[in-house]
Formats: sequence, structure tokens, C-alpha cells
Amino acid sequence: MSDVLIRNEPVPSTPFIAEGVTISLAAPQNRYSLRARTAQTLETLLNVKVPKKIGATEGGIACLGPDEWLLRAEVSATIPSGAGLPVAITDISDRSICLVVEGPRAAELLMTGCPLNLDNFVVGRATRTIYETVEIIIIRDDEDRFHVEVWRSFAAWLWAAFTAAASH
Amino acid sequence: MILIHCPYCDEKRPEIEFANAGQAHVARPLDPSSQSDEEWEAYLFIRANPRGRHHERWRHVHGCGRFFNAVRDTVTDKFETTYKAGEPRR
Repeated sequence: MSDVLIRNEPVPSTPFIAEGVTISLAAPQNRYSLRARTAQTLETLLNVKVPKKIGATEGGIACLGPDEWLLRAEVSATIPSGAGLPVAITDISDRSICLVVEGPRAAELLMTGCPLNLDNFVVGRATRTIYETVEIIIIRDDEDRFHVEVWRSFAAWLWAAFTAAASH
Repeated sequence: MILIHCPYCDEKRPEIEFANAGQAHVARPLDPSSQSDEEWEAYLFIRANPRGRHHERWRHVHGCGRFFNAVRDTVTDKFETTYKAGEPRR
């Protein structure tokens, strides 16, 4: 058996560059699904500010639903298990990968298959939505940069769809 | 595309993010073993099929993931209102 585990990604590691938009695979990171009835419970546990409005982000934590948050952190990061508290903290690091879509045409590219009006989607907002038939989480990192979280098994298709749309 | 107001996200979102989950306000009998076969059948299978105003459960499945209730007109497909689960019938 090999001593080193080789990471096998579903999409190419070299960025796809088209006119006005670049699609690339983000570096691996830790992801946690945080579930709790109130944001205060999580704030007590993690000792950081947790966004309370659905769609808001704060220091790597995105509020996806009334009782659901997504925490994205460095690979080396660890977080408390929450044992004894009324929370559910699940490591979902390898469930999804992150595609970075950047450039002046980034919003236009996402809107080829996503029904949201991303022109009204402010920087720092995050939401779960759908691209054609694939569920994604869009995080607007900057005016011209979006992070798209997608489940690994859908990633190859999404990459093909993005690159095809970007070439047009 | 129809826009549906999600009472949890508090904004109008595209229909494709939602899933219908059948008739709303169907309460499970508190003591199932006291029910006759007919009453249990009515709870399990018998649903209203109105022409017009209909109370339905919907789920913002590709969004916040929450179930909520909606009043939809089955003729025009127009959503009259949506409200959070647990709130009284409108």
C-alpha cells in the first residue's frame, strides 16, 4: 500500500480561461455543516460571530437556512465537536469541491443556468440554489469572483457545463 | 418562471428551487389506535382536490431547505400567500 494518499479531483487542476471569465478549482478546505436552533448556541461553542440572516456570511460562516450554517476553513483547522450541546456539527469536507468563477463575465456565466438575478446579489452573500439540475451553493466573494460549492459527483458535469457556456 | 415567496428567506425565489409536498394542515390523529379503518384511511389517503384556492405544503428544497405552507389557486397557479409551518391556516 502506498504511504501517500493521492487526492483525485473530478475536474482538471488547470484553470479554464475564456474571454472575460476564468474557472478554476479551489484548494482543498475543511467544511462543516452546523445545525442548531439558534445562532447563539453556535457562537457560545465556536466563540466567533455567527450570521443570523439567511444568506449572510461572516468570517467563513454562511447562513444557509434558519437552523443551518456552512463553515469553510483551512485544511489544518479543527473545531469543537459540540458534545453535550444541542447542536449537530458534521464534517462534510470531502462532500463537495469549490469552483472559483472569476472575471467580468462571472455573474453572466452563472446566470446561464441559475435562475437567480446575480446582479442584485451583493458581495458577501451566500445561498444554496440550483444550476440547471445541479444543486450548488453560490458565495459572492468579490464583485467579479464567485465561489461555487458543488457535490463531487456533480462536479464533472458542472465543469463541462461551465466551460461550454464560457466558450460561447 | 413563477416566483414564490419563501417565508424563511423572506424573498421571492424561482419556482425551480421549490418542491410541492401535498395538502397542508393534515393533522395526524393523536391516538392512532383509537381510529376506525375508515378514519385512518381518510387521514392517510383522502385529500381535497379543489378547483381554486388550495392550501399546500411546499419545501424550499434548493435553498433554505424548510417546509412552509402556501395558498395557491389551482386554476391560475397563482400563489396568494405563503406562511411559516406551524402558523394558523390563512
